[in-house]
Amino acid sequence: MTELLRIEQLSKAFGALEVLKGIDLTVAKGETVVILGSSGSGKSTLLRCVNFMEIPTSGRIAIAGKPVGTERGRANGQIQVDYRESELIGIRATVGMVFQHFNLFPHMTAFGNVMEGPRTVLKLPRGECEARAETYLSKVGLADKMDSYPAHLSGGQQQRVAIARALAMEPQLMLFDEATSALDPELVGEVLQTIRSLADEGMTMLIVTHELGFAYSVASKVLFLSDGVILEQGAPDDVLVRPKQQRTRDFLRGHATYKLPDLAIT
Amino acid sequence: MEHIWDFESVFTNWRLLLIGLGNTVLLAVVCLAIGLFLGLFIGAARYSKNRLLNVPASVFVEVFRNTPALVQIMWFFFAFPIISPFRIDSFTAATLGLSLNTAAFCSEIYRAGIQSIHRGQWEAAKALGMRYGEQMRRVILPQATRRMIPAFMNRAIELTKMTSLASVIAFGELVHQAKTISTIEFNPIETYTVVGLIFFVMIWPIAIGVRGLERRLSRHE
Repeated sequence: MTELLRIEQLSKAFGALEVLKGIDLTVAKGETVVILGSSGSGKSTLLRCVNFMEIPTSGRIAIAGKPVGTERGRANGQIQVDYRESELIGIRATVGMVFQHFNLFPHMTAFGNVMEGPRTVLKLPRGECEARAETYLSKVGLADKMDSYPAHLSGGQQQRVAIARALAMEPQLMLFDEATSALDPELVGEVLQTIRSLADEGMTMLIVTHELGFAYSVASKVLFLSDGVILEQGAPDDVLVRPKQQRTRDFLRGHATYKLPDLAIT
Repeated sequence: MEHIWDFESVFTNWRLLLIGLGNTVLLAVVCLAIGLFLGLFIGAARYSKNRLLNVPASVFVEVFRNTPALVQIMWFFFAFPIISPFRIDSFTAATLGLSLNTAAFCSEIYRAGIQSIHRGQWEAAKALGMRYGEQMRRVILPQATRRMIPAFMNRAIELTKMTSLASVIAFGELVHQAKTISTIEFNPIETYTVVGLIFFVMIWPIAIGVRGLERRLSRHE
């Protein structure tokens, strides 16, 4: 299996607040990694460091075998890396990100939103941008909503447009930052299905979510983050069914306080 | 005492009024253009992290927003020629005062417009791989300008009314012409009524436009 992402001793502090404290993680091409953890555990920050929306305080990140930035050496045992903005811009163009609140561009149609990246960033010819917009909107099941403005779409539809917008850049890695947390419960399913189909097609993904059932069924690897460190990681069965750490067990119990009997949802 | 209305003496001086109207519009248009243009740079400077840019820009904005436009015009007409080598006519003094005043207000409109755009929009644009300029041009400004337009139109209305202040330094805009006519004809009541109506007819449609625009914009969001 080829390695797509390697994170070593990644730390991130906001002022005095240390959010990530030495994360090590490798992700193989085609893997779906689900990141769990309570709020404030650093899972969103970890995701945002991967596409350099946040600049790591220390540690190194390599994407597709290529280290990002120039290593300056070590300070207090921490790996120090210098980054050039132009390189980071290039990285962001190859890593797709889907946000909790969709963040679609409200002044553009669904079609315009999906076309925007290929057009402005990749500077592809217009015909090709349109072809991509059609392809990816169809892929998320919204071929009939191309001319709709975000304000006229449901939350689930908006999030699927946002996924199509990220896919249109043909990224090598997709990041999902609580992509269903802002959705009405009945709209969660359609978005999860879209993400699931991407996993089935072999897209490499890092997913931050609170949907444990989804995590269990889609993940090839599950991480449990607590206080900025990876407390536990492994196959879904190991982390979600037979967790070793008490913190993980507490977290899972908190998420499964009330359950419907199986009959209710068949 | 009963007043006998005599509008004819106003209308026989229609040439004077027409010249005044022309000057009012000229002053308003020139000051709005300069104010919009200059305001963009002052707004950007205020937004900048560089203290050499943002401190002077802030001082400028505060001074012009917190002193009367009338004083600004008088200052440029009377004081500016003394401390500078330039001799200034009343049009230039009025233009300086009103366009700098407008620039100060416009810079705030630009700044507020850009800051009103949700952080998520910057993030989404950045995550796609856009450079700062592209984020601004493709995502932020198209949304921000929409929100700015009603504010700019209100500014234009204010400015058009403020042009009347230039009458105190004898610039021949509508109110100054009215002063002239009423001195010749002894008919201030009629003259100022007519001038008031001219202003109203000029400004009211803009005000209606702003309201319509604000309604349309709020529906879209």
